[in-house]
Amino acid sequence: MAKQYELNDDSVIVVIGSGAGGATVANELAQKGIDVVCLEAGSRLTLADVVNHPATMDAKMGWHDKRIGNFLWVCKTVGGTTMRWSGITPRFQEHEFAARSTYGQIDAGTTLIDWPITFKEIEPYYVKAEDKMGVSGTHGIPASAETNNYKVFKAAAKRVGYKDVNSNRSAINPVARNGRPGCQQISFCHSGCAIGAKWSTLYTEVPAAEATGHFELRANAMALRVNHDETGKATGVVYKDSDGVTHEQKARAVCVAGNVVETARILLNSESSLFPHGLGNSSGQVGQNYMRHTFGVALAVMPKPVNFHRGARQTGVVYDEQGHNPERGFAGGYQLQAIAVEPWNVSATIGGWGPENSVFIENYTSLAGLFITGEDPPEAKNRISLHSTERDANGLPVPVIEYRNHANTNAMREHAIDSSRQMYESLGATEFWGGDAPVGCHNMGVARMSADPKDGVTNRWGQAHDIPNLFVSDGSLFSSSGGGNPTLTIVALAIRQAEHIAERMAQKEL
Amino acid sequence: MTELYTTRRRFMLASLAFSGLAVTGTSFLRATAAWANTGDNEDLTHFARLLFPHDGVADAVYAEAMAGVLSGFEANPETAGFLDRAEAALNAQQDEAWFDVDEAAQISAIKNIQDEAFFAAILGALRGSFYYHPAVWEHINYPGSSKEHGGYLHRGFDDISWLPESN
Ligand SMILES: Cc1cc2nc3c(=O)[nH]c(=O)nc-3n(C[C@H](O)[C@H](O)[C@H](O)COP(=O)(O)OP(=O)(O)OC[C@H]3O[C@@H](n4cnc5c(N)ncnc54)[C@H](O)[C@@H]3O)c2cc1C
Ligand code: SF4
Repeated sequence: MAKQYELNDDSVIVVIGSGAGGATVANELAQKGIDVVCLEAGSRLTLADVVNHPATMDAKMGWHDKRIGNFLWVCKTVGGTTMRWSGITPRFQEHEFAARSTYGQIDAGTTLIDWPITFKEIEPYYVKAEDKMGVSGTHGIPASAETNNYKVFKAAAKRVGYKDVNSNRSAINPVARNGRPGCQQISFCHSGCAIGAKWSTLYTEVPAAEATGHFELRANAMALRVNHDETGKATGVVYKDSDGVTHEQKARAVCVAGNVVETARILLNSESSLFPHGLGNSSGQVGQNYMRHTFGVALAVMPKPVNFHRGARQTGVVYDEQGHNPERGFAGGYQLQAIAVEPWNVSATIGGWGPENSVFIENYTSLAGLFITGEDPPEAKNRISLHSTERDANGLPVPVIEYRNHANTNAMREHAIDSSRQMYESLGATEFWGGDAPVGCHNMGVARMSADPKDGVTNRWGQAHDIPNLFVSDGSLFSSSGGGNPTLTIVALAIRQAEHIAERMAQKEL
Repeated sequence: MTELYTTRRRFMLASLAFSGLAVTGTSFLRATAAWANTGDNEDLTHFARLLFPHDGVADAVYAEAMAGVLSGFEANPETAGFLDRAEAALNAQQDEAWFDVDEAAQISAIKNIQDEAFFAAILGALRGSFYYHPAVWEHINYPGSSKEHGGYLHRGFDDISWLPESN
């Protein structure tokens, strides 16, 4: 039933990217009978392509185009990074949508603003997103099964007095639902789920959109720039196919969801005499305010076997530290989430060499682990820009990624590591390591929503302040980072955006 | 984190792809054979052991992992010769060959070169080829792929029994 559209068909909405944001907005539009062409730079895998070997899967689905600066562990494949993600899906908290009002401006370097939407406005879309993604503990879905690693995590959390800990909020089916099976605890979630128990747009949003007859996925199609007419309206997207041939797909409107770095690059690379600094960039804010969360990992050698390699990579969250509680010495809050990784990744996470590193792998079957995610204030100097001379294999300017942890972020991480150490030591851990995990999994900002067009790139619907038929549909929209993992919020915003686009079309405004 | 740390991490992650693939590639097998036959790489084999020490893992495994690094490096003009440079940099630090000094001196010689770009490259690639090596997995009781066994749903994903409290 998958449809094919003509390149000069300017009635279609072109969506760039088929990850969490792109495939969701595309499917939501297609469900409403709106025609969509989705351009995806990566190829389309099937579940049979998924093997339990991280390096092999990284070669098949990882993003390896040239980049300069901080690393991002993201994907280039149909489904985007939802192929690699862990599936933890907390909602942002009410105060996190009012970050500037709640925290104040932390210092001269931070650029905090409030979101132009409130928790109340997004809440109904959280409900829809949780249903779509099958979030455990919502919509009658049971809690996720308690893995060995989670059981250690929970017991340790209770020992140090944490109370708000459970194994809900995972977009991995605990039991079969919506045509997808329950999790078999295969445990290589970061390398693609071989049975499709974990929500990934490859086998949820994309086929659902295709079934409507209003959607065409073009895989191996790398978007290069967005074109516009003399009035400043977007008119089409130029892309390169797998043979290196360049085409332009005409468009009624364009939604960009390339996962932050690519979203910024596309907008910046679409400069013209009308928009000399790139599309949607009259504020100069495109690429700025790049946020990655307070990230960290803690690993502990427990006195007896845990076998954390058995079971889903991430199950369960401690929420006790997620509030804004300035007595701790930082603004915003964090969550602790049980996590397990493969031996190589244990070594790489700890870094360095010698027995300080190898003792953790020597005791691999006794390891327990957790992951830290917390609020990360925006700063103008944390940004994505284009290299002035270097070009990649597609002839695109190489993106330059500049990100440093803010002092608030470092203080929060230290607090979180201290809490983690206490947790594991309360159960007799014999070795402990805690530190940064600078892998760029959670990417936010760079085209943020703002009430005042001077402060950001998009309005409360993710529509460019400058260009009414240009939308941003990924984590680039986030006005601030919140503390929890971003994808549920990306999906909720995409559902809401599709509704807005359909309404504008019905009003003949698009 | 410092720029250096970030850069090093990038390299480690980037090197994963080729080092992991090298484990199955024919160039790896050829390099392994060449390495094993010459028998004069015991210093670099020992170097690998000091980087990732595991008493129960045989020298041959370290040698193979280093051969994997070598084959990956030789295929890339940017990294070709890195192992020779490491060897030379270690040997240049004392009158005798690095391999012949005591272990404490060997370790401090490594510390003296650990900020070099070639060292970061070797460390990252070795981390990949060594910790993906089947013999290392066997040593640490890590079974690898599980999908063909139906995962761990019925094989102990929740079998922990020593915890003091259960809720
Ligand atoms: C290991 C790991 C674990 C994670 N775990 C969690 C978690 O537990 N919870 C959570 O909320 N989040 C998690 N995340 C983050 C989550 O994966 C992302 O938030 C989410 O996938 C972002 O969605 P997106 O649509 O912005 O980008 P992506 O999902 O990355 O999709 C972007 C797509 O756009 C394509 N693209 C980019 N540029 C172009 C172009 N120029 N032309 C055409 N196509 C293009 C890419 O190929 C890609 O397919 C995790 C991430 C990682 C790496
Ligand atoms: S643990 Fe569950 S979600 Fe993760 S890969 Fe396995 S079956 Fe899929």
